[in-house]
Amino acid sequence: MEIGRRSFLSFIIGGAAGTAISPLPWKLIDDSSIWSQNWPWTPVPPDGEYSQSNSVCTLCPGGCGITVRKVDDRAVKIEGMKGHPVNDGGICVMGLSGLQLLYGPTRVKTPLKRAGKRGEGKWEKISWDEAISDVTKKLAEIRSKGESHAVGSIVNSDSGTVPNLFKRFLTAYGSPNFMTMPSMQDSYNMTMLLMQGVSAQVGFDAENADFILSFGSGIIDGWGSPVRMFKANSAWKVNGKKVVQIESRLSNTAAKSDKWIPIKPGTEAALALGIANVIIMESLYNRENIESQSGFDAFKELVLNEYSTDNVSSITGINSATIVSLAKNFAQASKPLAICGKGQGSTPGSLNEFMAVHALNALVGNINKEGGVWAVSESDYIKWPELEMDSIAESGMQKERIDGAGSEYPHAKSLLNRLAEVINSGDGSLGALFVSDANPLYSMPDSKALNTAFDSIPFVVSFSSYMDETASNSDLILPNHVYLERYEDVPTPGGLQKNVIGLTKPVVTPQFNTKNVGDSIILIAKALGGSIADAFPWDSYDACLKETLGDKWDVLEENGFWSDSDSKVATGEFNFYPDAMKSLSSFSSVSIEGSTISYPLVLIPYDSIRLANGYIGDPPFVIKTVEDTVLKGKTACVEINPKTGKELGLTEGRYAFIHTPRGKAKVKVHLYEGIMPGIVALPRGLGHTAYDKYLAGKGCNFNELIGPAEDPISGLDAAWGIRARLTKI
Amino acid sequence: MKEEGKHKKAKKYGMVINLDECTGCGACMVACMAENNVPFREDESNKLDSIAWMRVYKLTNGKSYPEADICYLPRPCMHCEGDHGHSPCVSVCPATATDYNYETGIVSQIYTRCFGCRYCMAACPYHARYFNWWDPVWPEGSTKYLSPNVSPRMRGVVEKCSFCFHRYQLAMDKAYLEGRTVLEEDEYQTSCTQACPAGAITFGDLNNPEHKVHQLAKPDNKHGGRPGNPNVFRLLERLGTNPKVYYMSSREWVRQAGDNYIDNEDFAKNYRH
Amino acid sequence: MDSALIPEGVTRCSFGKFALGIIIVGGVLLWGVYAMMLIWLKGLNQTNMNDFYGFALWIWADLGVIALGGGAFFIGLLRYIIGKDELKNIINYAVLIGFICYSSALLILAIDVGQPLRSWFIFWHANIHSMLTEVAFCLSCYFAVLTIEYIPLILENRQLNKVPFFHNLAHNMHEVMAIFAATGAFLSFFHQGSLGGTPAVLYGRPFAFREGIFIWPWTFFLFTWSAAAYGPCFTLFVTRLTEKITKKKLVKQNVIDLLAKISGWTMGTYIIAKIIDTWYWATVTAPDMGSNLIDFYSNNPFYGIWILVVEIVICGIVPALILLTPKGRSNPTLLFTAVLLACIGVLLNRWVMVLQVMAVPVMTFENWVMYIPSWQEVATTILPVAYGIILVMISFRYLPIFPQERELNS
Repeated sequence: MEIGRRSFLSFIIGGAAGTAISPLPWKLIDDSSIWSQNWPWTPVPPDGEYSQSNSVCTLCPGGCGITVRKVDDRAVKIEGMKGHPVNDGGICVMGLSGLQLLYGPTRVKTPLKRAGKRGEGKWEKISWDEAISDVTKKLAEIRSKGESHAVGSIVNSDSGTVPNLFKRFLTAYGSPNFMTMPSMQDSYNMTMLLMQGVSAQVGFDAENADFILSFGSGIIDGWGSPVRMFKANSAWKVNGKKVVQIESRLSNTAAKSDKWIPIKPGTEAALALGIANVIIMESLYNRENIESQSGFDAFKELVLNEYSTDNVSSITGINSATIVSLAKNFAQASKPLAICGKGQGSTPGSLNEFMAVHALNALVGNINKEGGVWAVSESDYIKWPELEMDSIAESGMQKERIDGAGSEYPHAKSLLNRLAEVINSGDGSLGALFVSDANPLYSMPDSKALNTAFDSIPFVVSFSSYMDETASNSDLILPNHVYLERYEDVPTPGGLQKNVIGLTKPVVTPQFNTKNVGDSIILIAKALGGSIADAFPWDSYDACLKETLGDKWDVLEENGFWSDSDSKVATGEFNFYPDAMKSLSSFSSVSIEGSTISYPLVLIPYDSIRLANGYIGDPPFVIKTVEDTVLKGKTACVEINPKTGKELGLTEGRYAFIHTPRGKAKVKVHLYEGIMPGIVALPRGLGHTAYDKYLAGKGCNFNELIGPAEDPISGLDAAWGIRARLTKI
Repeated sequence: MKEEGKHKKAKKYGMVINLDECTGCGACMVACMAENNVPFREDESNKLDSIAWMRVYKLTNGKSYPEADICYLPRPCMHCEGDHGHSPCVSVCPATATDYNYETGIVSQIYTRCFGCRYCMAACPYHARYFNWWDPVWPEGSTKYLSPNVSPRMRGVVEKCSFCFHRYQLAMDKAYLEGRTVLEEDEYQTSCTQACPAGAITFGDLNNPEHKVHQLAKPDNKHGGRPGNPNVFRLLERLGTNPKVYYMSSREWVRQAGDNYIDNEDFAKNYRH
Repeated sequence: MDSALIPEGVTRCSFGKFALGIIIVGGVLLWGVYAMMLIWLKGLNQTNMNDFYGFALWIWADLGVIALGGGAFFIGLLRYIIGKDELKNIINYAVLIGFICYSSALLILAIDVGQPLRSWFIFWHANIHSMLTEVAFCLSCYFAVLTIEYIPLILENRQLNKVPFFHNLAHNMHEVMAIFAATGAFLSFFHQGSLGGTPAVLYGRPFAFREGIFIWPWTFFLFTWSAAAYGPCFTLFVTRLTEKITKKKLVKQNVIDLLAKISGWTMGTYIIAKIIDTWYWATVTAPDMGSNLIDFYSNNPFYGIWILVVEIVICGIVPALILLTPKGRSNPTLLFTAVLLACIGVLLNRWVMVLQVMAVPVMTFENWVMYIPSWQEVATTILPVAYGIILVMISFRYLPIFPQERELNS
């Protein structure tokens, strides 16, 4: 058949018309739409049986109770636990994001042994047996050389069973070098010791105070137990209580306070004593009760001679009238409370400042009173049998600590801030180091120097659950379960005026080939044998924990927390003027590094609840909440006053370099009217090099820009800033 | 207004956010993301395309140091009713993919019906609507924490705060099983309300005089839900969107920042109606 | 080579030259198609749109081409309903331009939506309250009308017309064209109006919002009227451009003059209405919402008050005055300037009603947000231009578009 043009056209048109009225195109259109509604690459979360499980969050020392919502064996949401004495249903950004850590890409999934150079990121997966035996061999070798004291450990705190297992292990092994991450608790503890003669935790009856004078404490920026402080802050608002915030930057706390008083940073102690001066001058204190206390006369002499209002005004930059009215309001309040510890309190700060503030509290008579400051005896539930040391252990324990705590600085328990300098200057060395629940290579000030010090430690073992900076720079990783996969006791959070012990529970089964760090320690001890093994009579960490908690266990297992019915007060005689305070007889602020000529500005850190700056970095959800005036792309923003910006020719959004005597970083300029001219503020918590792509490589780490400043009395880090320069790019 | 008569028992779920108490901590934002399977990407610092059903804005009073002041303002979807009975977004959606529920007053979004024309985004003065410019991608293993109560959205559709509508449905299911048709105030609370550590968010039925939201906002339903409490205001009240999210602040500059005013006189005249 | 297809009695350039032109423009077209595929496969993240700019370059292009394509319905109305018979000499070209504009608009819309596979939901789940629904329905229907109007023109191709069926079909379609013209005018009135209503019903956006009558905001009528005024200008502009490129006179001056005069009147009346609308909005509507006129034109790097002056005075009053004066119409340079300014004016109006709406902050604590399209957006916006040029080239070469061409060039 010949196909002519006409028949061809008819065929085409007819065919097209025929297809159009057939169901085919309509079916295709419909099907393609249905397909677009069910794209296989868009996940559909499976449904299942719903359940809830109570536990405790350990992402910060706040100790909040959490309720984890589950679908079958998957945890799908973390919420604040209703009725918990710390947070009563409230929760913070980090706590809410815990599941991103549990299931996230930063987990160390199995024991790892370094395969390339340190920090290169090349790892070999090994079995747990191999990992434990590697550690054991190395430790046995060091011990056999009689250098047991050259083994150290860094953990987050010194309370709770896991830190105490480390401490016990080191003791049995023969090393005094049990180190903890520093915080304001160290300074508070030392203040308690020096001024009240007690070994106690500080507790604040914040909820009942009616006038809160905060020397730069980030009450709603993550200070203390954060959610508890948020709640207290709201209660103050509702009940018309007053908050005065003293700091050089308008932080969230300052903005929410009733009065923000900007101060020259580093002069807070002078202000505290200046306030004391007014109170004494105007007899605004209970003379009968106070004047009889020891050291009061000397204290009175000190503040009257050196801290006159005019003098303090010129030191702090706050005008005299403000100081006087502040002092009067504070003293005349029925339950005044002064607190200190800058920002989140992640650095210990100047001991003078802590003592001056504490003296102020004592002056208005609020020690161990409702709405005041409490000396809380820690709940000593850890009562393990006395361990027997062999001769190596005994001789090792006789040695001085590498960081000088207890010797050079007699009151200090741990001075991790000194470790880098001691090692780098050749004054000491470590043969092996354990790091658990801490990320010192990121979060210690002058982290670069600590990195150098780590380079000279031949064997670094990390117990981290995540590939953090310290884990990446270790030789061996024995990954711990994440808090949602393990049992662990959570000691009383800092700042609470009564003991509340929490218990984390395995909400889900361990997702990877990890092991509770407590078990790792017990296994290592047992493998080392002898008196070390004998010191650890438990079959497992869980058994140890259960035994340790004794009759509290059932309550903890049931409720997730155990609390003292009332405060356990440590009583001692108050001393207004301990020897340590003598250096205040002529005020000088803790000097910071750098000359005013080459570094005309002062760089200070600031803390934000949306930026975690401790062991754990921001999970994706949290980093998402960070404002674009804090982090933009890969660059962190510095805050400067528009006046400073004008002087330097820096406009909003300009890129610049910040230089300090310790380092240099690229930053973006954010002009902020809420900061004192001449000051540059940089957020803590950015500049991670480890963790996942959501966090790593974003912004710069404040700790790389700051140097340490040793407090002359405590030996703790007292640096509140560093001199700096901004240059245009 | 017709609906009012027809649905006498209609609820009007809404929020009162106390800006004096809000600390800007961002817990509401993350609580929302975690509850509603909100996706995230490597860089979320471009706030022009970062999905945040609940976004906390930082307001400044515009004054110089040391008189400067800041205030945070959490902004969920306002679930506008509109003075003339239609919310700005619902009326414009060509495919009825977003709807106003007269039973609850909640503005819904049907992801599988939305075809991504984004007209609703143009209509919303609060920037409460977000478009899925990218396919949502979760890191390996992380899909485990996705909640089955809220379906993850595909690329190319608009999403927004639903006042955790799935929680309403779950609460209603539970109530029906127990033979009730009315929910207690605490039975249905949004994820952000529940999480807020400062307790700054109050959620409930604005039409129910026993609910705290009603007592705080004192809405005047005869006049488009205007607040009766002098410290309470709504965002862009003057546009007539009739939003269900009320804000409370003791600071005048914050209240003034809630809307556009030609001058102080205009503020004085229009703030209290 | 293709002489058998070329209409009788007219001269066309060599096939080689024609093919070269097609290849060059085709290259641009392919670039656009590449961008389009990228967008369809990877999604709208290929654009620089964001949550503040849900509507951007494409929506402007849609509104723009539909306004420019308005010549088709208005000239059709004048020719078939009002009875301006001379306009039959330009109506074919107006229909072709309209067809190109409307098909372009549909194409861009198909790229612009996030879920193109579901775009038919606009019909299936139609929300009758939405201006976009009305736009979608009227636009599709009117596009069908334009296709019907364009088909007889194709059938008049020398070879196709030899087929008796096609010949008869074309003839019969011509006979009933008045009905389609009337339908087209009716549909256009609504969708042009709905497009005007699209921004104006956004009562959350004080810059766009306009009051109105019943359900129709004032811009509903302004958009229709402006399409009627400026659409024919675009027809005149393209006709003049075609004449320049082909170096041929294609339409007699009296036809041009008539259309220009009508445009002058519609434009003049439109611009008066536009000034009244702007005045009322600036002094009543916006202040009621808490904004001064100047708030919409300050504190940003681009949108100054100049834009209002350019749109209303330079691209509104000026071309209207030129077109209203016989001298202006008879001077080819002035006439060309006027129609060019008019086209710019209507495009600027659509730009302002789409992009400036997105740029203006509404909440007091937000800032102006600027936008620069990505290359993919630009390429897909140029794509229909290239496609239009190709369709014009082919149609001009093979179809008897201009009835007066033979006479004018004999």
